[in-house]
Amino acid sequence: MTSRTVKAIGLVSGGLDSTLAVALLRRQGVEVKAVNFYTGLCVTETQRRKGGRADGTMPRNEALRAAADLEVDIEYVDISGAGYLDMLVHPKYGYGANANPCVDCRVFMMSRARQIMEAEGADFVFTGEVLGQRPKSQRRDTLRIVERDSGLTGRLLRPLSARLLEPTLPEREGLVDRSRLLDISGRSRLRQMALAEELGVADWPQPAGGCCYLTDEAFARKFFDVLDAREASGEGRRIVQDDVVLLSTGRHFRLSPRAKLVVSRTEVENALLERHVEGRARLAARDEVGPVALVEGEPTWEERVLAASIVARYGKGRDRAKVAVEWREDGAVEVYDVEPVRDEALVERLRI
Amino acid sequence: MPAPARTIDTSGRLCPFPIVETAKAVKGLDEGAVLLVIATDPGIAQDMPMWCRATRNEHLGTFREGPAWKSFVRKRARVAKGAAR
Repeated sequence: MTSRTVKAIGLVSGGLDSTLAVALLRRQGVEVKAVNFYTGLCVTETQRRKGGRADGTMPRNEALRAAADLEVDIEYVDISGAGYLDMLVHPKYGYGANANPCVDCRVFMMSRARQIMEAEGADFVFTGEVLGQRPKSQRRDTLRIVERDSGLTGRLLRPLSARLLEPTLPEREGLVDRSRLLDISGRSRLRQMALAEELGVADWPQPAGGCCYLTDEAFARKFFDVLDAREASGEGRRIVQDDVVLLSTGRHFRLSPRAKLVVSRTEVENALLERHVEGRARLAARDEVGPVALVEGEPTWEERVLAASIVARYGKGRDRAKVAVEWREDGAVEVYDVEPVRDEALVERLRI
Repeated sequence: MPAPARTIDTSGRLCPFPIVETAKAVKGLDEGAVLLVIATDPGIAQDMPMWCRATRNEHLGTFREGPAWKSFVRKRARVAKGAAR
């Protein structure tokens, strides 16, 4: 083993696996810098932004908590910009079960991690990935693809599964002792739990079945709806940051290929939609308490009336014969006196 | 609280950006200097002490003031890291 300080960049989510990977390398004396990527698609982060969980509790920032517990420096890296969004729309290796292009996403993140490694003068990058734990992104072949396409060939270490994989450069160069790395594979977490006890890692979040909106079926429906609608209108398949925020907010209704309605579900979502009014029409009942809603695109007059009727349905005036709904757009205000929609089948047909 | 050498206002920005801004601001401070972070994201009360613990800066306190939080951080001298505990 080398006597010089070995430095590594670790991708840390705060989950058990990445926490253990950090702890394993620190046990070997490796200086670790933790990196957490902000994609704008983290479910927990969005819960925090919306004021916490339904039960009133505030989810922790687990990456920060793990870094604090392990006393490693942590850097947040914002990758939520156009390059990342373009990758989501055009993934080279395709999608998983929903809108999750996990292999491409890993390549994107590892490429950024490589840049950080080079800038920091670090020796390698590591993750908490476990061979065979996830059906698409953690297979032997896809682990290799991620390593190759990110430009990290030989410099991407997976400490929890290292002994089942080809030795990496830091192992071959003696920067890391391969015999003290592990050979964990598969979905069982029993070995990780035993290791946590051995390494004194006492606090970790229970696996929540994925923290990424892209793996969520309902989110995926809305995601592909945006792409399909843009393509149908001749705009081309693309997505912007504003879309990402709105896709995780409110009830979505496709009025036509040209127009979509988003109706908030809570006061917090009302406030959130208020921040995205620019370039959209804002709808709300004039005389009753009710949700804020946004309409995107170019609705026909009939679609405007339909949107107003749906908004009326979710407010306190839902049982009235008529509700006045204000339509504000580009400084102009129109009022639609509409009957709240009572046709459940119609609402469900329009719901994305 | 000691007088801050620098104040940053992250009002309107949400998790994790108040922490991202804090990290950037602390980098530019002299050791021992105090940074005041103003935030409207309630997560700051939970995040700032953890970030300080992770980065070995000193969290002097986070206080609510109306709709905002004020968080005081003292930049610590960097210490050698990576040693096995």
